[in-house]
Amino acid sequence: MKSDSNLEKVLTSGAFAVTGELGPPRGADPAIVKEKAQFLKGRVDAVNITDNQTAMVRMASWAASILALQEGLEPNYQMVCRDRNRIAMQSDILGAASVGIKTMLCLSGDHQSFGDHPKAKKVYDIDSIQLIQMVKKMRDESKFQGGADITKPPRIFIGAVENPFGQPYDFRVYRLAKKIAAGADFIQTQCIYNMERFREWVKQANDMGLTEKVYILAGVTPMKSLKMALYMKNSVAGLDVPDWVIKRLEGVTDKKKVADEGIKIACEQIEEFKTMKGVAGVHLMPIEWEHKVPEITERAKLLPRPTFPAEPAPAPAA
Amino acid sequence: MSEHDLKPINIDQIRALLKEKEAGMKLRLAACAGCTLCAESCFMFMNKGKGQDPQFMPSFKVLNTLGKLYRKRGKVSRAELEQMRKLLWSNCALCERCYCPLGVDLPNMIAFARKILRSQEIEADGQQAPEKKEVSK
Amino acid sequence: MIIANRKTVEEIKESLKAYKKVLTVGCGGCTAVCMAGGMKEVNDLNTQLDILFKDDKVVFQINGAVVERQCEVPYLAELDEIVKPYDAILSMACGAGVQFLAERYPDKPVFPALNTVFVGVNKDIGWYEERCKSCGECVLGMTGGICPITMCAKGLLNGPCGGPQDGHCEANSEADCAWIKIYERLKAQGRLDNILKITPAREWQDQVQGSLVLDKFRDKYSKKETK
Repeated sequence: MKSDSNLEKVLTSGAFAVTGELGPPRGADPAIVKEKAQFLKGRVDAVNITDNQTAMVRMASWAASILALQEGLEPNYQMVCRDRNRIAMQSDILGAASVGIKTMLCLSGDHQSFGDHPKAKKVYDIDSIQLIQMVKKMRDESKFQGGADITKPPRIFIGAVENPFGQPYDFRVYRLAKKIAAGADFIQTQCIYNMERFREWVKQANDMGLTEKVYILAGVTPMKSLKMALYMKNSVAGLDVPDWVIKRLEGVTDKKKVADEGIKIACEQIEEFKTMKGVAGVHLMPIEWEHKVPEITERAKLLPRPTFPAEPAPAPAA
Repeated sequence: MSEHDLKPINIDQIRALLKEKEAGMKLRLAACAGCTLCAESCFMFMNKGKGQDPQFMPSFKVLNTLGKLYRKRGKVSRAELEQMRKLLWSNCALCERCYCPLGVDLPNMIAFARKILRSQEIEADGQQAPEKKEVSK
Repeated sequence: MIIANRKTVEEIKESLKAYKKVLTVGCGGCTAVCMAGGMKEVNDLNTQLDILFKDDKVVFQINGAVVERQCEVPYLAELDEIVKPYDAILSMACGAGVQFLAERYPDKPVFPALNTVFVGVNKDIGWYEERCKSCGECVLGMTGGICPITMCAKGLLNGPCGGPQDGHCEANSEADCAWIKIYERLKAQGRLDNILKITPAREWQDQVQGSLVLDKFRDKYSKKETK
């Protein structure tokens, strides 16, 4: 075991993993985090705690991760490269490990121009791949990026993100290879709708032997409404929403049942992912729909989640 | 013809400037032995001038601008100044690489000639002399 | 070359309002080439400032002078006598020239008329684009001649990120994604290997003020060791 994290245990046991997402609030109220946590408890193996997503200032992901731990959830502590240099990052990683955070996700981060402080000084001291390398070095070599020894290394299960539909399309599987070479233990993808293209990407990853070295969790976001589907098709970069999705949603006669159809499509995708070679689980991102996680995981037959009894404490020396 | 073209050259002004550095400059101008070593050290001459065109030789540039100004005692026409403009700006980047075995400070002389042209509101290629118009608020 | 752009005349006027006699000093170097601080720009600015101060019914005299470069002492030295009667100097050089000028005349308040914006290229008349961040560790050989520090909004060394839209940068829809361009260029040259391997974290060089003395001049500027 690299980290003893719940997610690592689920994946190494061969079970199909499920992760979720929780965005911290734009304020200091812990109750909001705890509220959102209730929908996820017992339904996911780990929950992504986002880090100032879209460059909007939010409660720190390390803090919300601690709150998630208190609610009995395993946080997947996200860290972006936009706001912190390597000194702050390594410091945060040691801090996170010290309070029981065992899983983290390494990302570049949305550019600061998207957020509420667009002219803040950009950091990007290291990029996401260099961050993965750095965490691996801390964990496996017990050394800081600069080379000095760490007194007690952090035991972290290292995650990264890849977008199978990003540009340049031909390079994406090689970027996946780079992240694995850097030390990624698991990968979450952006939400998938074009199953055909995704199958191609997974096949490439399989052929290159990459899926033997890393656990891939396929991203799933159920469509809440036709409007949402059209928006994501036309206005969001790096997403590929095929026409059949639109058609199915349009075809629903009772407008109140469109959301239900969206969940149905998601469940069909999840069924296929369960048996797709190279896919080890799903990453659920029900945007603005967190309270639907219980229903989705139920309908997708993902429950109950596997649990691992705590190891008995070693017997005291005689 | 624009008003600019008709504007007379202020010869007194040119003379005053020439006088400021007369002794040193005339000495340098007289020192040129025509050895062409400066040409070999000039990027413009070796590239744009293909190692042959005298219009790019540092000595040529200086003798036909500053040298001419001194020879004609500042009494030059606007057309002549326009010719000098080409030598001083188009044909010279003032990169200061030119080397003279006699120790003539060529860049200094180019810079001085440019200064004189600027006093007559002539500057680098592409720049136009300012129009004397009222600027609206 | 260095590209600079003039501050608004309002900002410049505001910075000069306490002074009665100002000398605007232009530069024949980079700022003249990018049409921000050459002789023409000096004259234009002085004309505008003159009118604005007259409107305020304030006594204000402004004159202009141009030196070849404000970043080289011999050229700057030409101003020594000229600056004497003025109570402030407005420099139209880049930030480096302004500072050199201020250093030379420390008892005179010196104000910049320009914002120095980047090291860049002249794509066509009046059109400049940044190309270099002076990071001190050039990797253009690895990336096929496209700078990831300058052209990638995130300065990634193992790009691209997940953000490009239609080949454009997520942060700047008018710019191409630098990493897509790097990928395409290296692919066309058969050099994709360069980016298949990981570029490790960089030791950033721009930590303190930069200073450089060429080897062949080292002796000239160092103190002679006593025997």
